Amino acid sequence: MREQQLKDILRHMPAGVATLQGPELRYGFVNEAMQEVLGASVTEGFPITECPGTLPADLLEVMQEVYRRGQPYVAKAYRLALSSEGDEPGRPRYFDIALEPVREGGGEEVTGLLLFAVDVTGQEEARQRTHELAIETRRLDTRLRVLTETVPQITFTVDAKGNYEYVSPQWYYFTGQPPTADLNAMWPLLIHPDDRLRILYQTDAARTAGIGWSYEYRLRRHDGQYRWVLSRALPELHAPDKPVFWHGALTEVHDQRELAEALRRGEAELRFLADSIPELIWTATAEGFVDYYNQYSEEYSGLLSKDLGPTGWINLLHPSEQANAARRWVHSIATGESYEGLFRMRRHDERFRWHIIRARQLTDARGLRWFGACTDVDDQHRLREVLQTQYDELARTNRDLDTFVYTASHDLKQPLFNLRGLFDELRRSASFDDPQESQILTMVDEALRQLDLTLQDLAATVQDQRGLSAPTESLDLRNVADEVLLGLRAQVLESQAEIELDFEAAPTLTYGRANLRSVLHNLLSNALKFSHPGRPPHIKVQSNLSDTNQPILTVHDNGLGMELPDMPTPVFQPFTRQHPHVAGAGVGIYLVQRIITSRGGHLEVTSTVGQGTAFSVYWFDA
Amino acid sequence: MIHIIYISRAVRPLSDQDLQLLLDQCRRDNAQHNVTGVLFYSHGNIAQLIEGEAEVLEPLFEKISRDGRHSNVMKLVDKPINIRSFSEWSMAFHPLEPAGFEQLQGFLLPNRVPPVPSSLTIADATLIDLVRLAVFGADAAATSVLPQA
Repeated sequence: MREQQLKDILRHMPAGVATLQGPELRYGFVNEAMQEVLGASVTEGFPITECPGTLPADLLEVMQEVYRRGQPYVAKAYRLALSSEGDEPGRPRYFDIALEPVREGGGEEVTGLLLFAVDVTGQEEARQRTHELAIETRRLDTRLRVLTETVPQITFTVDAKGNYEYVSPQWYYFTGQPPTADLNAMWPLLIHPDDRLRILYQTDAARTAGIGWSYEYRLRRHDGQYRWVLSRALPELHAPDKPVFWHGALTEVHDQRELAEALRRGEAELRFLADSIPELIWTATAEGFVDYYNQYSEEYSGLLSKDLGPTGWINLLHPSEQANAARRWVHSIATGESYEGLFRMRRHDERFRWHIIRARQLTDARGLRWFGACTDVDDQHRLREVLQTQYDELARTNRDLDTFVYTASHDLKQPLFNLRGLFDELRRSASFDDPQESQILTMVDEALRQLDLTLQDLAATVQDQRGLSAPTESLDLRNVADEVLLGLRAQVLESQAEIELDFEAAPTLTYGRANLRSVLHNLLSNALKFSHPGRPPHIKVQSNLSDTNQPILTVHDNGLGMELPDMPTPVFQPFTRQHPHVAGAGVGIYLVQRIITSRGGHLEVTSTVGQGTAFSVYWFDA
Repeated sequence: MIHIIYISRAVRPLSDQDLQLLLDQCRRDNAQHNVTGVLFYSHGNIAQLIEGEAEVLEPLFEKISRDGRHSNVMKLVDKPINIRSFSEWSMAFHPLEPAGFEQLQGFLLPNRVPPVPSSLTIADATLIDLVRLAVFGADAAATSVLPQA
């Protein structure tokens, strides 16, 4: 009964059990698990060599050896090619196979073998996986090592106590230390003395807090030079709050730092320079937002940079000039054109002073920026205004006097002519008794001739003095116009006039230089003087040829214009003034006309009130 | 009351749909909190002027500057004002498909932005003009919001 029970247990055991009997090793008891291992259905009583199943030849030999020697043997993780269901080869299975010699009745003689087969496929596969993993880990480890030893950075690992566990060979190249150097002792000594305490403290603090670090310090190189390096490290956490190692890298940043330092120094010096200049100096971004005002700007305005703000300088301008200045600034930003203007700027004491504001664009590697300066020209401006007024006054008086003399001498000619006629008539018709009286007549004649000469001389003197009778020469119109405009520079700047010169069709003119200057000066200064208050003057000067190939000069403006009576040439009487509110003696155009007519030409004018005037000079009537 | 002007860059370009959503959402929120002003958008460039009570605008700007949809937020002006210069909150941009946008409440074509009222200082008006220029490019200079002389 018990034997039957034992057999049942053996039959259903998960490990394979079989008995082999006699030297031929005939199958005895084979349990189910062993049946499965051996595959082919083995029959009791058959020798194992005739029905080996899945057992390979080498194992059969070993079995015979065990039987002969009587020594047990265990084959660990022995691979058996079990045939699976169907024909495809199954995955390899591994068994621990134990061979135990059986001695019947306790004798010395071996009578059979006990064969055990325990399936260890799972364990074996796990072992193989572990093995493969180990190979992979070694591969990764090698790769990491190659990488860390090839990059220019020094890499390192520090443990929780702060000891260097690993440092890449670059550290030894960089520092020139022998491979035997004690890392933990040497490293702090190689840090620049001025940085050492800070670095040791910061490292400790980061380690205590369990966080990474990033700082720069000077490390001594093999040649004794201290070089700036950037040290960055991150903790390796083994639990959310348990850093075990810090891995990091050391990068040499010396050159970048020197460059940045040089830039900072350069910028600081420039800033110091800008702050030392008693002018308002500022810079603006590409978008036109002022991002820096120098110290003097703050002193002058009595405002801080942050209160001035990106467009605050406009607030400092005279209210009547703000919109114009702002529009031109926006225009400059949009087009990149330099900015220039003459404006009144409010000082901290509420006084306005004239400034020339200039700004230019700079494009370099750091992008686009604007640099501006406001130069105080108030004193010059006021002085110039006074001088200009006085000069204008004097010039006008002078001109008026000349004109008066010229006109008077001219106008006196007619009465003189009449007087001479009357005397001739008197001499012809009257008789004189006293011979002395005819002598008086001769004397009158003589006096009249003298008077005529004096008048002629007077006119000639005025003409000579003003160069009006100078000989003609070939003149470059642009040259003369530029000279004249130079003299009118103040008025041009002040009125922000746009002046267009187009002399291409007839660039030269044969004329008296002083005469041409006088004509251009009068026409241009008139156009500037009688400008429309609502718009800056736009003056167009053109030189053309007429149908008969004679030169014509036109000066076209967009000023006040004037009312023209129906008569052909009425405007040009001396001392008639179209715009009483504008300063002048009213002789300018009269003189122009006289000059032109005296040289054989004529002057024409067209005008629309409120829109503008065009003067046409026909230099020579054909 | 204060007004704030800033410029920024969108992290990625906004589509017509994004812009319309932004317009709807901001108009609703801003109307609720009595915030007025104008937003300019073009090719990832953003600029905005907002005006309202300081206790509304300061947290609003704080929120705006933390918004992940844009970066490089640069505040240009943040200062007290006496009166509002904008009657509502609106947005000016060039939609890829302008049809349908013209009828939207609070939408402006960039060249239709009306001149700013004289309640704004010329310095602030200039700032708006420069900001417009920065967002829309040099073409915007032709339609200045500065008061005409």
